[in-house]
Amino acid sequence: MVLAQRRSQSVAYLFLGPWLLGAIGLTVAPMVVSLYLSFTDYDLFNEPRWVGFGNYAKLFGDDPRYLHSVGVTLRYVAWSVPLKLVLALAVALLLNSLRGKGQAFFRSAFYAPSLLGASVGLALAWRAIFDTWVDTPDHALITIVLLSAWQFGAPMVIFLAGLQQIPRDLFDAAAVDGAGWWRRLWSITLPMLSPVLFFNLVLETIHAFQAFTQAFVVSGGRGGPADSTLFYTLYLYERGFTEFRMGYASAMAWVLLVAVAVITAVLFRTSRYWVFYGDER
Amino acid sequence: MKAHKVVGLTLGALLVASGCGGGASNGQTEIRFIWWGNDDRAKVTDEAVRLFESRNANIKVSTSFQNFQNYFEKLSTEIAGGNAPDVIQMDYRYLNEYAGRNVLLDLTPYVGKEIRTADWDQGFIGSGKLKGKQVAMPLAQNSTTIVYDPKLFGAAGVKPPEIGWTWADYKEVAAKIQASTGGKVAGSTDFGGTEDVFETWLRQRGKALYTDEGKLGYAKDDLKAFWQLSKDFRDAGATTPAELVTTLNAGAEQTPMGKRLSASEHSYDSLYGGYNTVRPDELKLGPYPSDSKETLGSYRKPSQLISASARTRHKDAAVKLIDFLLNDPDAGKILGANRGLPANLKIREAVAQNLSGANKVIFEYQKSVDAKLGNAPAAPPKGDGTIYKLMQRKHEEVVFGKKTIDQALDEFWRDAEEALK
Repeated sequence: MVLAQRRSQSVAYLFLGPWLLGAIGLTVAPMVVSLYLSFTDYDLFNEPRWVGFGNYAKLFGDDPRYLHSVGVTLRYVAWSVPLKLVLALAVALLLNSLRGKGQAFFRSAFYAPSLLGASVGLALAWRAIFDTWVDTPDHALITIVLLSAWQFGAPMVIFLAGLQQIPRDLFDAAAVDGAGWWRRLWSITLPMLSPVLFFNLVLETIHAFQAFTQAFVVSGGRGGPADSTLFYTLYLYERGFTEFRMGYASAMAWVLLVAVAVITAVLFRTSRYWVFYGDER
Repeated sequence: MKAHKVVGLTLGALLVASGCGGGASNGQTEIRFIWWGNDDRAKVTDEAVRLFESRNANIKVSTSFQNFQNYFEKLSTEIAGGNAPDVIQMDYRYLNEYAGRNVLLDLTPYVGKEIRTADWDQGFIGSGKLKGKQVAMPLAQNSTTIVYDPKLFGAAGVKPPEIGWTWADYKEVAAKIQASTGGKVAGSTDFGGTEDVFETWLRQRGKALYTDEGKLGYAKDDLKAFWQLSKDFRDAGATTPAELVTTLNAGAEQTPMGKRLSASEHSYDSLYGGYNTVRPDELKLGPYPSDSKETLGSYRKPSQLISASARTRHKDAAVKLIDFLLNDPDAGKILGANRGLPANLKIREAVAQNLSGANKVIFEYQKSVDAKLGNAPAAPPKGDGTIYKLMQRKHEEVVFGKKTIDQALDEFWRDAEEALK
């Protein structure tokens, strides 16, 4: 009995192995190293030098450009996440009402831009389309927000699946009681969909904080013009790889990690007030 | 219990086995050579490299290139990842940045032997030296220049750039051209964010970008006057609008000149090949405007240098390729003046015998200004790469009206001194 259990355990480990190796080798170990590096002055090529909390102190005390990049990123998150979710939900509602009539086709069609996702080619095309916009500081960030919002396919597909889970009889009962479209949306669809909405919100928020490729390509890697698209990750990259301050960049990465964790925790906290799991009252 | 170990070992062995699969050797040495440039440079470089391979059957060379803007980001990433290319095209401005961090091979033992230097200007070899070590070899010589469109100058009835013209002349000429096109084409490309232009301008005033100790070689007022000059051009309707400022320093095809949005542009003569690809036989090279009678501020700059990685496992092959690119007459013929005037004087002479197209324009320009050119200063200190971008960014903030010149200046000064620490 015990032996059989052990054997099945080792089989489990065998199958987990490749993932486990990857997770440890490619995620956990580099994270530990970067935590160490964040307390050092490290130029990529020579031995790191211990500086304690020096990097962290400089981030918040003596680097206006860092604080500027935080501002740009927050603005990007605040615009792109709601815009993307609203678009995704609207299209999902539309597709859900199609029911069979070409739904599969339109679902794929709307999903396509997301497949291209962080593709460089797409960002280049975007750069070409919004040529003068990306070259003026007041409009550059908007173009990147639009690029991200346009790729609403992933949350849209999840919304669609969520919509199809809502029992029909709820709507039928509401219709009998004379509820209109808005009423049904507000009192049935949204509450029943709130777990999915919450899931999408958390995921998209985390993604938005990590946005890099679009901004990098659209601004030619500089976060320009005049730092108007200096995303957090872009500044991190510049500090690390073009200025050879990898210790400083590591500190930035850890601050971002902690900030995203805190924001996610806050979202989870608020979820008890607006997410409805159906089995509660 | 033992199962864990067995599984672990098996996986480990599998990984090791697959990892080793790539290193098959049959007497072939494979080296990697990376450089920056554009398509026309890629064509001649690949041709020269293929000739090298055909003469050295046991050495295989893989090449790749980027535009200048992305080149050093890619390079630093590769070196940091332990995947340094064996042979590396280097820039004067980045020499200290890399050599100062001990990632470039000291070529001193090879100079004059495996790397032949008999036909070289001995002073020019020194431009690849730092603290007595030959960390790079200059590939070719270039100088700052004004690229211009003679048709637009003619149509506006103004004289083309010539030695003796001043910055005031330039402003007037550029404004006239811009007016004559109804504002569709700018008279000049905004130059205020480009450190190369600033350096040339400083040298005309007897100053330098950096002191010998690696500190800033100019005062706040100098940069202020330079940014004011750029503003005067804008106010006079003589230069490109703000949105175009950001496209500087990309490939020639992305500059205002390449896009036919400007009639003249500060540049390097070695970039003429790129311009000529985008606008064949349309553009000419002229001297910088200067308020000094004695000097143009331009100097004999190593347009590019070539280095080997300190961590290369194939030193001999790398050095062999370097020597071939620098000193082989046939390679010289293929490469022409694509990177500027060849460093090897015999090859320079041979190339000069048989000039056509872009090469001819570059050689003739160099000849016309040679008497007014200075010698290259010491390579800029570590941190110059950061300052280069900083100047561009701060100037951009001024042009877009986000900051006054004085605000931008204060911020520039603080960040520049920080970068030099």
